[in-house]
Amino acid sequence: MDVRTPSRPLAPPRRPRPSAATGVVVTVLVAAHVLAWQGTEFSPAALVEGWRGMADFLGQALPPDLSWSRVLSPGIRAALVTLAIGLLGTTLSVPFALGLALLAARTTTPDRWAYQAGRSILSFLRAVPDVVFALVFVTAVGLGPFAGVLALIFHNTGVMGKLWAEAMEEIDLGPRDALRTNGASGLQVALHAVLPAVVPQFVGLLLYRFDVNVRSSLVLGLVGAGGIGFLVNQSIKLFRFDEMVTHLMVVMALVVAVDQLSAFVRRRIGA
Amino acid sequence: MTPTGEVRHVEPPAAPSMDGAGVALAVRGLRKSFAGRTVLDGLDLRLRSGEFLALLGANGCGKSTALRCVVGLETPDGGMIHIHGREAGAARDAESARLRRRTAMVFQQVHLVRRRSVLDNVCAGALGRLPLRHSLTPLLFPRELREEAMACLDRVGLAARAAEPAGRLSGGQQQRVAIARALCQRASIVLADEPVSALDPVAADQVVGLLAELAREQRLAVAAVLHQPSLARRHADRVVGLLDGRVAVDAPAGALTEADLAALYAADRRPAEQEHR
Repeated sequence: MDVRTPSRPLAPPRRPRPSAATGVVVTVLVAAHVLAWQGTEFSPAALVEGWRGMADFLGQALPPDLSWSRVLSPGIRAALVTLAIGLLGTTLSVPFALGLALLAARTTTPDRWAYQAGRSILSFLRAVPDVVFALVFVTAVGLGPFAGVLALIFHNTGVMGKLWAEAMEEIDLGPRDALRTNGASGLQVALHAVLPAVVPQFVGLLLYRFDVNVRSSLVLGLVGAGGIGFLVNQSIKLFRFDEMVTHLMVVMALVVAVDQLSAFVRRRIGA
Repeated sequence: MTPTGEVRHVEPPAAPSMDGAGVALAVRGLRKSFAGRTVLDGLDLRLRSGEFLALLGANGCGKSTALRCVVGLETPDGGMIHIHGREAGAARDAESARLRRRTAMVFQQVHLVRRRSVLDNVCAGALGRLPLRHSLTPLLFPRELREEAMACLDRVGLAARAAEPAGRLSGGQQQRVAIARALCQRASIVLADEPVSALDPVAADQVVGLLAELAREQRLAVAAVLHQPSLARRHADRVVGLLDGRVAVDAPAGALTEADLAALYAADRRPAEQEHR
């Protein structure tokens, strides 16, 4: 029989109507946005009225001060410090993030208490912003890039540990079970079945975090933890907006370069 | 199965004493249920060294669960598992762990680490007897182990592929690597859970034939869940058919009748009310 001309037409099922729950969710979302609008004193009118301030600012900021010895050269050197803070902050957090990730993944940690402990430590490290860690470490080791590195190690351990733990929880459990049946210990199973399966994801996430950490080490400079953020902050305080724009251009070049590099490597390893 | 529902048990002409030496694996009264559904309902099974046993039965009759209980991937609700005459308890004590190391499992989905080399995958079979300082990474595997693994690979005919990533081999080759891993574990009992369900007929015949050869040559006790009765007839010594979590047929492979098969696979087509009795 030709399926296009059935003897008796089959009624397609009706689409379900939007439920009451959908209406409630939409109403709650709209209400939340109204409250947020009021809570943040959001006012396009104020922005329009303040155009003169913006124009003054731009007038002072442009053209940027590109003098080599006074602005550009120190800016580039400080940007390299920022890059170094991001690099060390990322790399030195790897052992801590790995240990805590193994603890905080059900795949590798069957014990419920150990698992919860690992999760809690990671949550704490993640919940405290890196800027707050930087302020704490500035009081301990003084102003400068070292405080920034310490702050990134702590915060990045929390974030990367969580991301890695999740990557390990998503793997196919078959190879793990296969090694368990031949008597391998928990650590051996982690080393020979779980970790080899997640290497590309781990490297991809590591590069992504390096990218993020270079950008946050800029902000750390604003609170005194060295790097080009420190110079940006100084220019603002001295009302040298033309210098600030130059520093921001250096920052942009740095961020774009790191982003391109990390994207290139991630493409190559297929993560 | 006879119409009265009892086990159709055919003794082989010159069967060694069932209680005597040579019994590698003995399962008695094994019970397991998942969320109220009984999967194993007092399963009894004996497997001798040097014997290749084929387990047949419809989907959900408990074949895989029985094997998973033996290797410790599932904890049975009741019953006993004896490995070489000693009881392997449910608890994860050292004695049970040592006993269970004598059993190796081969899976339908193979479960090799695809990114690691074939040789490293085979070496991983020995992890249970390696101290941590020799097993932190494959770079630390001792030379003797690597040589032993090469011999295991040679036995399954894949020594030439040792350096390649496991994921690059065909399905049948990967399954043979998994068997080499079981050999490298020095297991005396090899349990295979649908080892050839994902393979083409030629590769399937090769893998099942290999398991049969290993049983005969190396006196391994091999039990394989199969879904092709023809493979069981061609290669197995004995066939055990499971129905509703119990043994329904236990016969030498040559004595397996069409009526036996019809009874085993009729389960899937039973009316629903009978299933929920």
